[in-house]
Parts: sequence; structure tokens; C-alpha cells
Amino acid sequence: MHGYFGRALVVDVTDGSTTALPLGEDVLRAHLGGAGLGAWLTTELAPPGVDPLAPENPLSFVFSPLVGTPLTTSAKFAVVAKSPLTGLLTDALASSHFAIAGKFTGYDALVITGRAERPTHVFITDEDVTLTDASGEWGMSAADAEAAVRERSGRRWRVAAIGPAGEAEVRYATISHDGRHAGRGGLGAVLGSKNVKSVAVSGRKRVTLADKDGVLALAKDLRQRSFGPATEKYRELGTLANLLAFNAISTLPTRNFQTATFEGAALLSTEELASSRSVAKNSCASCSIGCEHIYAGKDGKKSRVEYENVFALGPLCGVSDADDVLAASARCDELGLDTISAGGTIAWAMECAERGLIDAPWLRFGDGPALLRALDEIGSRTGLGALLAEGSRRAAEQVGQGSAGFAAHVKGMEMPGYEPRTLQSMALGLAVNARGADHNRSGAYEADLSGDRDRLAGTADHVRAAIATEDRAAVIDSMILCKFLRGVFTDPYVEWADLLSRVTGWDITGTELQETARRIVLAKRAFNLREGWTPDDDWLPDRFLDTPLTLPSGRTATLPAARLRDMIDTYYEERRLDAQGRPLLVATGTETTP
Amino acid sequence: MGTAKAALEWHGSTLLRHVTGVVQRAVDGPVFVVRAPGQELPELDREIIVCDDPREGMGPMQGLAVGLRAAAEHAARPDVAFVCSTDLPFLHTAFVRAVLAGFGSDPGAEPEVDAVLPIVRGFRQPLTAGYRTALAPLVEELLGKGQLRPAHLLAECRVRVLDEDALLADRALAAVDPELEAVVNVNEPADYEAARRRPEPEVIVERYGVLATRGGGRGPRVVRAATIGHAADLVGLAFDGHILAAVNGDQIRSDGTLPLQAGDTVAFISADAGG
Repeated sequence: MHGYFGRALVVDVTDGSTTALPLGEDVLRAHLGGAGLGAWLTTELAPPGVDPLAPENPLSFVFSPLVGTPLTTSAKFAVVAKSPLTGLLTDALASSHFAIAGKFTGYDALVITGRAERPTHVFITDEDVTLTDASGEWGMSAADAEAAVRERSGRRWRVAAIGPAGEAEVRYATISHDGRHAGRGGLGAVLGSKNVKSVAVSGRKRVTLADKDGVLALAKDLRQRSFGPATEKYRELGTLANLLAFNAISTLPTRNFQTATFEGAALLSTEELASSRSVAKNSCASCSIGCEHIYAGKDGKKSRVEYENVFALGPLCGVSDADDVLAASARCDELGLDTISAGGTIAWAMECAERGLIDAPWLRFGDGPALLRALDEIGSRTGLGALLAEGSRRAAEQVGQGSAGFAAHVKGMEMPGYEPRTLQSMALGLAVNARGADHNRSGAYEADLSGDRDRLAGTADHVRAAIATEDRAAVIDSMILCKFLRGVFTDPYVEWADLLSRVTGWDITGTELQETARRIVLAKRAFNLREGWTPDDDWLPDRFLDTPLTLPSGRTATLPAARLRDMIDTYYEERRLDAQGRPLLVATGTETTP
Repeated sequence: MGTAKAALEWHGSTLLRHVTGVVQRAVDGPVFVVRAPGQELPELDREIIVCDDPREGMGPMQGLAVGLRAAAEHAARPDVAFVCSTDLPFLHTAFVRAVLAGFGSDPGAEPEVDAVLPIVRGFRQPLTAGYRTALAPLVEELLGKGQLRPAHLLAECRVRVLDEDALLADRALAAVDPELEAVVNVNEPADYEAARRRPEPEVIVERYGVLATRGGGRGPRVVRAATIGHAADLVGLAFDGHILAAVNGDQIRSDGTLPLQAGDTVAFISADAGG
């Protein structure tokens, strides 16, 4: 077997026992790695109906066949589990040396299950697994805990850790390594529920490559292409370059999606911040793009700035003070909070407070210090934070009074910075995606922003375009490569099949890979169905269906419920699901679901 | 004119491309072009639907019949349509919207009138007017009787007249076209030459992301450009597929021949916008 070790390691932190789980070629070829293999592992290992925060809920660090190769952006891993935020499958990707060191332990995935008696670090090498006391690091930020472990145990260790929010089981807590975050879906809370502060990896095992020279040649070519115009935006300015552009096209969600333009956008733009607060540019491990743009606020704290964290902590909360937004972003990193869900939940609470639905007169749109206070309370589950740590869906269920109608989430996951009324392919993508409201598993905004279709309409053509982006994401998140490379491929499936073939020795074709994409998408849906998903979960909040947006052109953007229904029905039909959105027959590897 | 009006050059594009582009920007539904038998048309936006007029020499009423029937069949909101000729170099989206607003503001309500007829400088303007698509059978009936003038149709239906005061009560229209030049047509070569000599509309250009930092400069810039492509040229951008544009925050455009109007703001963004 090339590119894989053909096994996963299951570590039960209750007693430190381990089990090697064989992974056959059929399973690996069908699910590749990363998000795809993670879906299979979770389906196999999670007891049906398991509480996401119960010891029995497995959490998997999943590598891929490309990890450890010289292919640019391949040092990525997926963290996969049943989510405490959505109650459904979630996978979160991160890029760092953890991926390489983790795979060098000799496993294609590391699965953590059980619950330790006390705060614990899990050390995994290619020879053994050791659990050590983490009481000294409990309460630290992920970065501090990572540094402490490496200081004490040696710099060969790569350490993925949780912050205080994960320890407090905030339902959108992150897992971090080297400043990179497996951000969405609350996987940090899953690790925290197991009393695991960190997972440290180190190893010397190497996989073989079926065609080493071929891989090297492709790596050289891909690296060269990664310097081209398709990645210029990421290299030069980073994803924050979206902010002003989205504002110009009424796609920048503002004040809890009440409007789609923000009067303070220029103050938060990369064009502004790059000249005044940029302190560094970095690359992930094994990456030639270098998209990381590090900014410092007036307090000197540095933060890796992306469009999503600035959108969520800035316009979405009505905050235009760049220092407040940078401080809030840094605070999320310290606490270990997903910035999108944190900003989304707080924005919902701000609207509740302004409507008098919750007793929090201090919490107002545009108030930066209030935003920081809310983050602190969430991280410690104190005060209003006890409510907000549950995420906007659960919080709205508690508050009632119609607040669910403006809780901007899908399946419990707060919405990213893409206004669905003015991006209607994306509206469909957000509604039906297995992970919930998400821009990485459905990149349907690409279809809306292509200029090829009316972004204010939603037709069968929009649905097909959304499906195409969902399929591409399924493969790229399973191989795994960085999505910022997607623009350099002219014939993606064929080129990806070539990459995989040279690594694994399998005669994979582009057509097979397209089938693999569909299989992975449906496998996630099948898992969700098993865990209680209902057709009502494929939907958008009332706000988007009831309230029109007026564009500067004078046109009105509406998304009537009937149109969304038509798009979802078309999606089910195109995906060959039944009328209720259920997979008719999904082979997940070992079982067939309804 | 000595040449087909549709193909007349208009600031690097054609008059027909310009007029259809203006209408396209003003309405939610599709835009139809009705051509005479055998008529060759200049290049149009791919969204434009071309309909064939089966009979020649019947005048604008025949085109009206074909266009209204097509609109009734295809359009998202099939109850009303804006109808115009191709020789209107100064047609403005605000004018189109003002005429269509004459049917009432509730798109779900039954229109109280069958046609909205502007009267400008004392002249009725049936070829810059609004019609209910349900009029198609009546138009065909009148054609069958040899009644070939729009006046015959207007005599048979409920008409809301919009005189200059009524039109300019629309603040958006009054701001951009106070002289109501939207109805000025070009019938003679001299008309066309005079229209062509006018300066291109003044528009504001914004560049974002690497388009601003890549030597282009930040902040708004005022230029005179009749099309997106020309506006891009003027700020040093190659509108070559790697760049897209949105006019007044509306649709994302990749077609450099899309017409611009005075007061427009054009946002140029990278084609890879998004996460």
C-alpha cells in the first residue's frame, strides 16, 4: 500500500488502552482521507445517537495520502466528530506540522475516545501512547499549553490543544495547533469533554510513494502554479480582501444580517489595516502560497486575520473600531472560540438586547468593549455567557419570543459572511450542507460571483452549480489540499486523480473521483440521518425569507420560501435523494443506510 | 440612416447592445429582441432572447405582438413589459423603472391599466412605453384588421398617461435625466452624429483588493466611460476574465460591453472573490 499505512489508532483516554483499526484499500480508495475518511470512521465508531459530549463520542484526527509528500499545501488534517453544536457530523480542517508529525506516527487517523479522570495530555508516537497530567496547563490558552508541553517534553512534539472554551465545553470551541484552528462545530468541546487538554504527536514512520519521481515532478509544477494570478489575492492581501468587495455588492452581513452593507467597512478593510497594522506574513507548513496575514492591535496582541473573523466580529456585530475587532479576534484565539459562531451568537444576542428580549442593556451593536466582555463570559460560561456558549440555536430556544427567526444559523451552526439573499446559489448551499451553514464545504458563492448567472435569482442552474462546488470541496477536503489552490487547476478531477494515482499507485480516473465526491457528500448526509436529521434541518432562518434587501441599484433582493423550497427539491432530485432528502442507498463502507 | 440602426457603433459597442443592456439593467425578467425576417443582429449579451418576427412590413405593431407574447411565456413577472425601439442612445434605467412604476408598485396586484404611455415635449411615446403582456391577442387582432399603428391599440385599452411632470415626479429619474432625453431617438445620420459626439457618461470607479493595491490606487475615481470595459481601461485594468464588475452593487458582470450611465458606480473585483 502506498500513501497510507492502512490503519487508524484508537486511544481510549479512560484507561489509556489502544486499538489498531485496520483500514482496507477499499475503504481508503472510497473515502480518500481527511473529511471523507473521517465521515466513515465516525459512522463506524460512534454509537448511534451518542451525546456529542459523552465519552463514547469518538473524535478523529484524520490525515490524507498527500500528507508528507512535497506537494504544496498538503500538510493538512481533518478533525471529525459528531458536533455538540449541530448534533450532526462535523469536520474541521487545519494546516500545520501536526499533520506531518501525526502521520509519521504510522497511522492514517488518530481517534480519541473515552474520558480521562483528570486533565490529560495524550502523547502519541510510532511506538506507544502515553497519558500525562495536564492540570498545570488546564485554563491556559491553546498556544500557551502547546508551548508548555513542548518546553517540557521537547520540540519534536507537535501539539494540538484546546483553550479555556474547550475545557468549559462551549459548543463552538476550537482545537488549535501553531496558531491554526480546527474551528467549526465545537470539536474543542468534544476534546474538553474527554478531559483532554492536548494531543501531542511525534513519529518517524514514512509511507512509500508509488511513483516518487512523478510526485516530485507534479509537486514542482504545482508549486510553480501556486505563484500565479489564481493565488495572488491570498498572497498579497489574504481573504480579508473580500470585505470591501462584498460590501460593494451588498453581500457583507451586518448587524446580525439586518443589512448587507456596513458603513464602517473601510475601517476594517485589508487595504486600510495592511498599511497600519500589518506585522508579518506567514505560510502554513509545506505551503508556497503564504496567505497568513498577521496584524497587531493597539494592545500589541497579534492576530491572524481572515475575512471571516473580521466579518463576524466586525460588521456582524456592528463594530467598526479595528482595534476592538483585532482584540476580539485575538481573544477568540486565546479562549479557543470559533470566531464565526462567537460573532454570530453575540450578534443575535445584541439584537435580542436591543429588542428587550434579554436583560443585557450593556450589549449593543457597535460596542467593541461589550463584544470583548461577551467573549470573556462565553469562554468562562459566566453571566450571559452561560446562555451564549450554547450557540444561537439553543439560546434562541431558551429565549423564545420569536428570536429564533433571526438566529442566523443552519442546523445550529452560525452562518458565515455570505448574504444568502444576494447570493442565491450560496443560499441553497448553506441550507443543505451536512455540516450546517458553511462556506468551506459548499463554495456555491463561486457560482454567484462568477458573473454567469443572476445572483438574485435561484434556479435549477444555481442548484447544479452549488452541487458542483460541494462535490469539489468533498474531494479537496479529503485528499487534502488547500482550497486556495483551487483556481490553479484547469481540469480539477483529472489533475487530482493524477496526483492520487502517483501517490497511491491506484489507477484513479477523474470520473472515479467525481463518484467519490458524491459518495462522501452522501455519507455525511447518511450519518446525519442516523443521528436524527430531519428535512426541516435543510432550511434557512425566517429572516432571509421574510425580509427583503434593497441594493444601491434600487433593485430588491428577496428569497421567497417557495423559491428556496424549489431549489432544495431540485437539489434532492439532482443528488438522487428521496423527496425527504434521504439517501436512497448509501454504502458507507460496511453498512447500508436507508 | 443608410445603415441598420441596431448595428450603429456606440462607444465601442453597438446601439442595440447599448439599449438592450440598459433595459436589462432596469428589469428583473428577461429582455427580448424582435428581429425582422432575415435580419442580422450585432452581438448581444447571452441572456438576451431573440424572437423572430414572421411577417415583414407590418411596422412596430407586429414586433409588439411578438414581443408581448414572448414575454408572457418566458418572463418571471409576465404581466407587464417595457417596450422600446433600438434607436434610443440616451435611454436610462431610471426612465424604464419610472414607466413600469406606472402599473403600480405591488407586483402581485392586478394592474389597473393596460398601458403606461409617456408624453414628452408634446409627443406620445408608444415606443418607450409599458404594456400588459395580455394585450398580445388584441394587438394581433388589430393587425388582422390592418390597424398597424400603436395609436389603434392605445385607443382600445386603459392607458395611464405620464406627462413630463408625472415622469419627473420620480426623483431618481429627475436626478439623472431632467430633460427626459431617454426618449430622444436617432432618425437621421445627423442625429446619430450629434448623439455620438456627446461625452461619455461620468461614472465612479472603485477597485478592491489586489486591483487597488496592484498599482491601480485606492479610493474612488471619476472617469467618463460608456461601457464597463472602457471604464476598466481608463483605470489601467484589463477586463479579461480575471476581473469582474458590479454596477451600483447589482449583478456581477463579465461582459465589458455592458452600458454605463451617468452617476453609476462601477466596482471592479477579482474573479476569485470569496473565501
